[in-house]
Amino acid sequence: MTDRECGRTVLVVEDDKDIRDTIAEILQDGDYHPFVAANGEAALAALRMADPKPCVILLDVMMPVMDGKTFRIEQRSDPALNDIPVVVLSAHADATSAAAEMKAEGFLRKPVDLDKLLDTIEKWCVAD
Amino acid sequence: MNTPGVLPSIQSLVESNELRVLTDSVKDYAIFVLDHTGRVMTWNRGAQNIKGYSPAEIIGEHFSRFYTPEDRKAGRPAQLLAGAAREGRVEDEGFRVRKDGTRFWADVIISALRTEQGELRGFVKVTRDLTTRRMAEEQLRESEERLRLMIDSVKEYAIFMLTPEGRVSTWNLGAERLKGYTQAEIVGQHFSRFYPPEENALGKAQRELEIAAREGRFEEEGIRVRKDGTRFWANVVLSAVRDHQGRLLGFAKVTRDMTDRRRGEEETAQRARQQAAVAELGLYALQTGDLNALLERAILSARKVLGLEEIAIVNTPSDGDHIQVPIHASDRKADAYGYLTVARRSLTGGDTSFLQAVANVLAAAISRSEMEQQLRSAERANSEERARTEQAQQALRQRDEFISVAAHELRTPLTALHLKLQGLERKMRGSDRKEAAQVTAAVRQTDRLARLIDRLLDVSRISQGRLEMTREEFDLAAMVRQVAEDFREPAEQAQAPLELEVPEALEGCWDRLRLEQVLVNVLSNAVKYGGGQPIQVKLSGDEERVRFEVADRGIGISPEDIGRIFGRFERATSLRHYGGMGLGLYISRHIVEGHGGTISVSSEQGKGSTFVVELPRFETVVRPRAAQVRA
Repeated sequence: MTDRECGRTVLVVEDDKDIRDTIAEILQDGDYHPFVAANGEAALAALRMADPKPCVILLDVMMPVMDGKTFRIEQRSDPALNDIPVVVLSAHADATSAAAEMKAEGFLRKPVDLDKLLDTIEKWCVAD
Repeated sequence: MNTPGVLPSIQSLVESNELRVLTDSVKDYAIFVLDHTGRVMTWNRGAQNIKGYSPAEIIGEHFSRFYTPEDRKAGRPAQLLAGAAREGRVEDEGFRVRKDGTRFWADVIISALRTEQGELRGFVKVTRDLTTRRMAEEQLRESEERLRLMIDSVKEYAIFMLTPEGRVSTWNLGAERLKGYTQAEIVGQHFSRFYPPEENALGKAQRELEIAAREGRFEEEGIRVRKDGTRFWANVVLSAVRDHQGRLLGFAKVTRDMTDRRRGEEETAQRARQQAAVAELGLYALQTGDLNALLERAILSARKVLGLEEIAIVNTPSDGDHIQVPIHASDRKADAYGYLTVARRSLTGGDTSFLQAVANVLAAAISRSEMEQQLRSAERANSEERARTEQAQQALRQRDEFISVAAHELRTPLTALHLKLQGLERKMRGSDRKEAAQVTAAVRQTDRLARLIDRLLDVSRISQGRLEMTREEFDLAAMVRQVAEDFREPAEQAQAPLELEVPEALEGCWDRLRLEQVLVNVLSNAVKYGGGQPIQVKLSGDEERVRFEVADRGIGISPEDIGRIFGRFERATSLRHYGGMGLGLYISRHIVEGHGGTISVSSEQGKGSTFVVELPRFETVVRPRAAQVRA
């Protein structure tokens, strides 16, 4: 779905270690290459160093240090990062509106349905 | 959707015990919550005491039934709600109707419950039976009236009040006779017009006021002028009247025509002095709240007028050769407040009736002070009750906040657990080890737990007025088919196959996730309570509205329960294995109303229930209608 070479890499930005590690583990089992960050600030640092840039970012909304909304603003203002698609992970029933507000490419509600998660990731990782 | 065994414990958490104890301990006040349409949502013991309904009878009913038919016809209940919604709070006094049809005089406060965003959630209504308080107020008015009558009826003296500036504020019969002005003519005029012009030129009237204000009292004899211009020789006593803080309220003025006294005999003079003393005492009683000061003044005045030192007020009649005049409230046959005693064997008839008049003034003043005390304690109780209501509302808010925080906290570890189990399930997919089935069951349990937490969050959103709809265009027919498909398996297991009557497509603009939640809730109830009979699912619509109908042929809902099933935490059925359907329908109702639609149910016990959801196809500005119920 993307014209960049992204090598099935996925950035998981999530402050809860258990959720973060479980998603990374599952992605690894699915032959993806996940890397993780615990908040928006760490995610920006990791993104700027990453090569190749990830196919998609899984982004939590409420996080300490820098939340998902701020991260998204920073990411969109950086020409090197602004074309990486973002899928919002939200615990709120109003995930739809949060995703719309953050101009994200998609959203997943917590608790996450694993099949849905993998389908979504796969969609962004398919090479042309 | 509901989880038997889990829901009851969450229900008990939600039905905060503290809150119930708090409002239930209030027995003298009806304190209850109305939803935004005026339907009763909660009921405390005080409400039961005052209005006579039990919670089961009244919850879900519209509060207009507490009003008289006249008030209902005049639209009073709706006016009060609208007023509370607009002003935040309305207070009203008037007749209300008990269950048995009797009326009582009530003080009603309706406060709007709003979210921080200002959205109307409902109302808190506090009703107090004022019948007792009202009687106390009437008695107070009567006793004041008695004192006034006593003053008004004095014919020999002009007794009237002046404002601090010297304008006439009251007028009695004696004043009218002496000075020739009627009350209507003189009230509001400056009292300097009673003085001859030559004295006014010297500022005499003003000087007298200043002396009276400074020294408390001014007395003189001098020339005064009647309305017709004739002059008379007068004895004038001007007394300053102050309140408890010492602020000047005005002056009491007693004017006596001395021309008469010079002509009259000593007996008449004595009578006149007695009358003046009684009148002055009456005026003083009206102005002061200090009973002891009044009693002291009464004794001094009686001693002075009668020229006797041995006058006292005692609680019980004393032995010996005393004249005893009981101090009786006129409406009381019972015990006297006390006795005016004079150490004499006999008095003239005139002196005795003077003492009786003094006793009457004292009795009226005492009974007035008792009424005032009753009123004050009633008011104190009132403000304490208000503080308790505040507390109850605070507890309600804290509970909602607690639910919200607790549910969010639960969700994070649950998400991790859920993901891990799904990962495991995925790895074991296709395996015939028995652990595979166990993992699948564990995933299903965490699914249920997650949905339960979602509901809890929905309830707290609703009660904080934060349930928002995010609309998008989609095909409702496709959604109904999809949800029905998801239910095919459980429906077949319950031997309640779904019979669909759904058009090809029915597009509209709604909140997709929320509407799916409603469909799932209504269908899961039908499957659960359908009693193993086919379930009909119909969807239809025209240009403006759509109608979704689910009819089962199951156990049905009893008439007592049908009014409550859209309320918070109600479960119509007492059969435990049917689990809870309360939260789901409560949430569904709010979602449907949030779309400007209605949800209703008709049911017959043993024959089944039909739930109907009607929605506008596109967003309208119409206010949400209340859930409708037909038995």
